[in-house]
Amino acid sequence: MLRKKSALTLLTVTTVTAALLAGCGSTNNGDNAANNGAAINGAANGATNAGGNAAPADAAGKPVEFNFYFTGSENVKSLWDAIIPMFEKDHADIKVNEVYIPSGTGAQPTYDRILAAKQAGKGSGGIDLYEDGLSNVTQGQKDDLWDTLDPAKIANLASVDPNTLKDVSNLALPYRSSAVVLAYNSDKVKSPPKTLDELFAWIKANPERFAYNDPSTGGAGSSFVTTTLYDKLPEDAIHSTDASIEKQWDAGFKTLKDLGKYVYGKGIYPKKNQGTLDLLISGEVDMIPAWSDMALEQIGNGQLPETTKISQITPGFNGGPTYLMVPKLSDKKDAVNEFLNFVLSPEAQAVVVTKMHGFPGIQLSNMPQDIQDSFKGVAEGFRTFNIGDLGNEINKRWQSDVAAQ
Amino acid sequence: MMKKQVKMGILGLLLVIPSFLLLFVTVVIPIGVSFKESLTNKEGGFDLSNYKFLFTDKLMRSNIVFSLEVTVISVVIVLIVSYALAAYMRFNNGKIVKWIKNMYMIPIFIPSVIATYGLIQLLGNHGWLSRWVLLLGGGDIPRLIFDMKGIIIAQLWFNIPFTTMLLGSALTGVPDAVIESAKDVGAGKMRLFTRFILPLTYKTLLVAITFVFMGVIGSFTAPFLLGPNAPQMLGVSMEQIFSVFQEKQQASALAFFTFLLCSVMGYFYIRSMVKEEGARS
Repeated sequence: MLRKKSALTLLTVTTVTAALLAGCGSTNNGDNAANNGAAINGAANGATNAGGNAAPADAAGKPVEFNFYFTGSENVKSLWDAIIPMFEKDHADIKVNEVYIPSGTGAQPTYDRILAAKQAGKGSGGIDLYEDGLSNVTQGQKDDLWDTLDPAKIANLASVDPNTLKDVSNLALPYRSSAVVLAYNSDKVKSPPKTLDELFAWIKANPERFAYNDPSTGGAGSSFVTTTLYDKLPEDAIHSTDASIEKQWDAGFKTLKDLGKYVYGKGIYPKKNQGTLDLLISGEVDMIPAWSDMALEQIGNGQLPETTKISQITPGFNGGPTYLMVPKLSDKKDAVNEFLNFVLSPEAQAVVVTKMHGFPGIQLSNMPQDIQDSFKGVAEGFRTFNIGDLGNEINKRWQSDVAAQ
Repeated sequence: MMKKQVKMGILGLLLVIPSFLLLFVTVVIPIGVSFKESLTNKEGGFDLSNYKFLFTDKLMRSNIVFSLEVTVISVVIVLIVSYALAAYMRFNNGKIVKWIKNMYMIPIFIPSVIATYGLIQLLGNHGWLSRWVLLLGGGDIPRLIFDMKGIIIAQLWFNIPFTTMLLGSALTGVPDAVIESAKDVGAGKMRLFTRFILPLTYKTLLVAITFVFMGVIGSFTAPFLLGPNAPQMLGVSMEQIFSVFQEKQQASALAFFTFLLCSVMGYFYIRSMVKEEGARS
């Protein structure tokens, strides 16, 4: 079965690449720009032609359409499915074209497309707004792809934490965040661990009551592993993609190896973020690392028992904002800015909180009191790891050192 | 006369070409591409380094051994259970047989992901099985999933129905007359089985082995969700190397190796088919 599947995947990839290459390669200038846009849009499920006029408010009164590319799990799509109609209701002159790319299938190509369009002198390739994580923000900074956000045009930018904006040189809009936290059964655990060392001690004192998922299958387990590896390393190591750090992981891997006999099933690491949540639901374990949005959502809809609580350790697990970027060469910036302003409004941010249980992108003091209360102690303290491809190396070594010990 | 034969020949070729082309595009070319990919080393040249990795890396070696173990054990158990079930349905009548006949196909219609999660619910540590055992006064049951046992149980669920169907049709083909006449001259049950029933269904048995072998060794869903973190079955390992570690060449080498394993089984299958064709004409 899988052999066929991967063969098919390979075939699809080849076809798509060929189509893209054909689209980019055959263009000269002028007339073909529209063709190019059409070909690219055609490949990315029927967005409208991006060539043609650029004026923000069309003279004929036709609404301005812009293309918004985003990636993620199903919950990201349902978030935008809720926010965009709210926006369009108030702004009849702007239409947002959603282009959803399921995670794992095409985030990188979207970035590459913006870059390729720029290099070929073809504007922004029909992509007017793009959502992604920190690594692509910094990558685009190097490639000079993103437009600097202007507080004069986006009034609500004032409610975003200025430090977060400064981290990305005002090139990207951190419109929501999530973090990995400890989710625990408060019936069994009265005082949750406050530091990583306390957590290790708890795991050893309560054998087989803790589980983390296989780090190659989900961010929650991956964060636990990374946090352990970088526990005793210098503070700034978590922002380094330099491979020379790999030798210093040894101590961390030894710790993880030792923990093996104390975790669930004496060394069973469930697959996917949901795998450990399932164990918490069935009561087989009492504590897991989990994504805050997933845990809060499942507490909210009753999948996880009411006794489930979440807390953060210090220094915190991995977490961080998700960003919206405007390609510098987009020709619909005015409409996009209008939209970004709406995304940062308290009413849209409330959807982020209620619909996907993310942390709001604006400072909590701008949110209603009940929402402020629900995030007490959780929305802060996470750290942003930016270690690039080293994540793959960690997964490889985890597989051989920890899983197969 | 001759002309008609030529015409028929052309018609035959025309009929074969679409399926051949489909096979060529969806199977032969991807295999070729994978093979080339698997020979590409890190520097872009061609050598056997990826295959060397498969057989020298401790982890990969244990994955291969583990996959073969799971496959062989699954094949043996599936065949024994299916053969017994099919034989029981062939030579008995009554309510139970009717029940089995109506129900044994059900697993085929349940998607594998759903069935796998069902098995987790059933066999997990706090699953239904352990609750029933507890209710009946038993103690803790041993762990059934997240190791080799879990994968094998899932493989039985997936493979027994189809295999039973195959063997069932083969057993239906054993004429009653043969069995009755053998009984008349005093053949015992054991003798009846080894001398008549087994030889008459042996071909289908071979086909069944091929199908189960290929199905198990290439499986992904059940080993991914029910199996241990290490060692992994080849499908799970391939996925990890391909999409997590992003080592396309190593994944290709592993895919090609799995293809070779299946080809060996396919060779025996095709050989026996060709022999049969030859015997007929």
